[in-house]
Amino acid sequence: MSGDIRLRREFIATALLLVLLALLPLVQRDVYWLGVLVVSAYFAILASSWNLLAGFTGQFSLAPAAFAMIGAYGAALSATYYSVPPILGLIIGTGAAGLIGLVLGRIVMRLKGPYLALTTLSFAEIARLVASNSINITRGDLGLPIAGWFNDRVLWFYVFLGALAFVICGLYLLLRSKAGLFLEAIRDDEIAAARSGVRIVFWKTAAFSISSAAAGFAGALYAYFASLVTPELGLVQQTGLVVSMTVIGGMGSLIGPVVGAFLVYVTSEWLRDVGGWQLVIFAALVIVFARLFRTGLWGLVTAALQPRRGKPA
Amino acid sequence: MSSLLSVEGVTKRFGGLVAVADVSFDIAPGELVGLIGPNGSGKTTLLNIMSGHLFADQGTIRLDGEPCTGFKPQRLARRGLMRMFQLTRIFPRMNVLDNLLVGGRALGLHVDEARERADALLEELQIAHVRHLDAGQLSGGQMKLLEFGCCFMRTPRLALLDEPFAAIHPTMKEIMSTFIRARHAEGQTFVLVSHDMPVIVELCPRSICMNAGRVLSDDKTSDVLAAPAVIEAYLGGAAA
Amino acid sequence: MLTGALAADLAVNGLVTGLFYALMAVGLALIFGVLRIVNFAHGEFYMVGAYAYTIVAARLGVPLAVALPTAFLFGAALGWVVERTLMRPLYANIATWGLMRDEYAVIVTFGLSLLLVNLVDKAIGPYAFRAPALVSASRIVVGPALMSGQKVAAAGVTLVTLAFIALFLRFSYWGRAVRAVSQNRLGASLAGIDATAVSSLVFALAGGLAALAGALLSPIINASPDVGAFPAIKSYVIVVLGGMGSILGAFIASLLLGLVESFGAVLVSYQYRDTFGLVLLILFLLFRPQGLFGERGREV
Repeated sequence: MSGDIRLRREFIATALLLVLLALLPLVQRDVYWLGVLVVSAYFAILASSWNLLAGFTGQFSLAPAAFAMIGAYGAALSATYYSVPPILGLIIGTGAAGLIGLVLGRIVMRLKGPYLALTTLSFAEIARLVASNSINITRGDLGLPIAGWFNDRVLWFYVFLGALAFVICGLYLLLRSKAGLFLEAIRDDEIAAARSGVRIVFWKTAAFSISSAAAGFAGALYAYFASLVTPELGLVQQTGLVVSMTVIGGMGSLIGPVVGAFLVYVTSEWLRDVGGWQLVIFAALVIVFARLFRTGLWGLVTAALQPRRGKPA
Repeated sequence: MSSLLSVEGVTKRFGGLVAVADVSFDIAPGELVGLIGPNGSGKTTLLNIMSGHLFADQGTIRLDGEPCTGFKPQRLARRGLMRMFQLTRIFPRMNVLDNLLVGGRALGLHVDEARERADALLEELQIAHVRHLDAGQLSGGQMKLLEFGCCFMRTPRLALLDEPFAAIHPTMKEIMSTFIRARHAEGQTFVLVSHDMPVIVELCPRSICMNAGRVLSDDKTSDVLAAPAVIEAYLGGAAA
Repeated sequence: MLTGALAADLAVNGLVTGLFYALMAVGLALIFGVLRIVNFAHGEFYMVGAYAYTIVAARLGVPLAVALPTAFLFGAALGWVVERTLMRPLYANIATWGLMRDEYAVIVTFGLSLLLVNLVDKAIGPYAFRAPALVSASRIVVGPALMSGQKVAAAGVTLVTLAFIALFLRFSYWGRAVRAVSQNRLGASLAGIDATAVSSLVFALAGGLAALAGALLSPIINASPDVGAFPAIKSYVIVVLGGMGSILGAFIASLLLGLVESFGAVLVSYQYRDTFGLVLLILFLLFRPQGLFGERGREV
C-alpha cells in the first residue's frame, strides 16, 4: 500500500486510541491508577520521539532517557534559580534538550549501528553522572524539587494526553511531508539517498534534534507532575523500557510506541500486584518480537487484517 | 566545443596500487559514451570519483565548466549528475512510488509535479503495475528498472550508468535501451559502463577504453574495438 | 603531590585492575571479531558468573577450586545457548531484518540484558551476596603496592587464563579457525571451516571469560542483579580503544584504561573517575574509530 495511505491509517488509529484513552478517567477514578496512566502517557511521548529517530530514520540512539532527564533538569533548574513560570520552564527544558540533541546529532553523523549505540550510551551515562555529581547545583541523587503545577490527577492525565496528541500530530505532519520520505530513505539506504540528492547531514541532524526536543518536552512535563527531578530519569534501564515499548508496539509506525507504552506500563503495574515478573516478561517479549515479529504488535494486527500479497510474476 | 563534463589528470592510489592514472577526457553535451575495459581497469574507481564517492588524489573534474572535484554525491545530484550503481540500490521498505518521489522531492519538484513525473516514468519503464509494492518485494530486474527510473525524476545533465544491463532479462534490457535511445535523441548525455559489447556497439557512437588505470583508447566505438592495444588488454598478447 | 612511591602503587593497582578488565574485554573483542556485533548483554555474563560462584561456593559448600571453573562453565553454557537461539538472523539473512542486522543485534542483546537482570532480581532477589574469598590474607605486598589477598589470587588466575587464551588462539586448530573467520567469514567457510560452530565457540568462550571475571571479583564486588553494568561499559570502552576485533588491542587497552583510571582518580577527580573511559570512547569513535590496533572498515 502507498506510504501515504499507510501513514494516514496509522494516524487515524492513533487518534481513535487517544479518544478511547481520554474516556478512561470516566470509569477509573483511583488516584494510583490515574498516576499509572500519566506515566504511561509520559513514556508514550518518549517512545514516539525515539521512534522518529530509530524507527523512521534508522538511527539507534541509546540516549532517549538522558534527553528526558535534560529536559526535566532544564525546567527544574530554571524554576529553582530563576523562578520562571511553568510554561517558560517547559520551553526551556524542551529547548535545552533539542539544542544538545542538535550538537550530539552533528557529532555522531558518521557513526552507524553499534558505534552509534555505544556513543549515545556513553553520552547518556556521562550526562547522568554529571547530574548526579553536581551536588551543589542539582542536589545530586537527593533530587531537585520543583513547584507543582496542577493538583488534580485527572487534569494531569488530560494535560499529558494533550501533549501526546500534540506530539503525534507534529510527527504526522512531519512524516507526511517530504521530510518523511527523506528520513525513511536515509534509514533504508543512506548512499542511495545521497545519490538521489537528499541532504543527509541536514536531515539526520534534524531528526536527532527534533527527537531530543520531544524527549525533553516529555521530561520537562514530567518534572512538574512529579514535583521532583532526580538523575534516575536518565538511567539506562529507562531507555531499556522505551526501547522495549517501541519494539513490542511496532517500530516505524506512528501508533506502535503509543500502544507499546500503555500496554507495557499498565500491564507492568497490574502484574506488580499479582507477582511482579512483569519486567522479565517484557524483556522476553522484546527478544521474541525482535527475533520473530520485527513490525511489532501493530504489524501483526495489520497483517492479520489484510489479505496476503504475493510476489508479482 | 564546450564540454559538459571534463576530467583532467585524475589519479587515485590505494596504498601502492595505482587504480586510476592520469585520466583525462571531455564529454560534450548530448554524447552517449561507453566506458569499457577489463576487470580491474579502474572504471569503477573512476566512476566513483566522478560521482563523489571517492576523493581523487590528483586532478580536476568540471561539470558545465564549474569545478566539482570532491563534491558530495548529494551536491552533484543537485547539479544534475545522476549515478546508477552496479549493485542495485533502492529503498526496500518504501513502496515503488515513494522510491521515485524521494529523488523528485529532493531535487526540488513539488508534490504534484513529482507524482506526475513518477507516473510517467513508471509507465515508460513498464513497472506501473507494481507501484504500490514495497521495493524490497520486487524481482531483481524490476529493482534495476526502478533504480534506473530514479535517476530520471528530474532530467539530469549527465547520467552515469554502471553496468545497467548486468544480469537482467532481455525484455528489461530492451526497455532500458529504448529509454536511453529515446532520451539520447532528445539531447541527454550518458556515460555507460558495460561489459556487454553488443549493447555498447549498438548504443554508443564513442567509447573510452581503460586498462590498468590508464585510458588506452578514446575514439569511435568501432575504432576502439579494433585497436590492437584494446584487443590485447581483453584477450592477452597472443590474440592481438 | 605525586611521589615515586605513590605513582608505583597507582601503577600496580591500575595494571591489576586492567587485567580484570581484560577478561571481559577480550571476550567482547572475540565476539565482535567473529560476529561483527557488540554484545550489549556482556555485563550479564559477568553477573551470572558472580552468582554462580557465590551460590556454588557459599551455599553448596563446594571447594573454591571447583567453584571457579563451575562459574566459567555456567557463563560458557549461557553464551552458547544465546548464540544458538538468538544470533542466527545475523548470518541467515532472514528477510525481515536483512539490512538492519546491526540494529537487530543491538535490540536483541539489549533485551537479553534486561531479561537476565530482571530474571535474577526476581528469582534470587535484589540484594547483594557475599562470596568467600580465595585467599583470606587481607594485605599482601606486591612490589610497591599493598593489595588484598583476594586481588592477588584473582590477578594470578587471570594472568594464567589470558595466557592460555593467547596460546589457544595462536596454536590450536580452533584458535586458528577463530582468527580465520574473524578476518574473512566467507573465505574461511570456503576453506572448510564451520563458521557457525566458530561463532558458537566464541560466544561460549566470551561468556565463560566474563563469568570468570565476575566470579573472581565477587568477594570484592558482591553479586547483585546489576553488578554487570559497570564492567560492561568498561569493556565497551576498551574494545573500541583497542580496535574492534583486535585481541591484543583489547588487552593493551584494558591495561591502559586501568592505569588511566587509577591515576586519574587521584590526579584529576575521584568522583568522575568512571567518565574518563567514556570520554575516551567518544573521542576515539569520532577521530580514530579503528582504535589503536584495529582495521579501518571499507565503505560502499
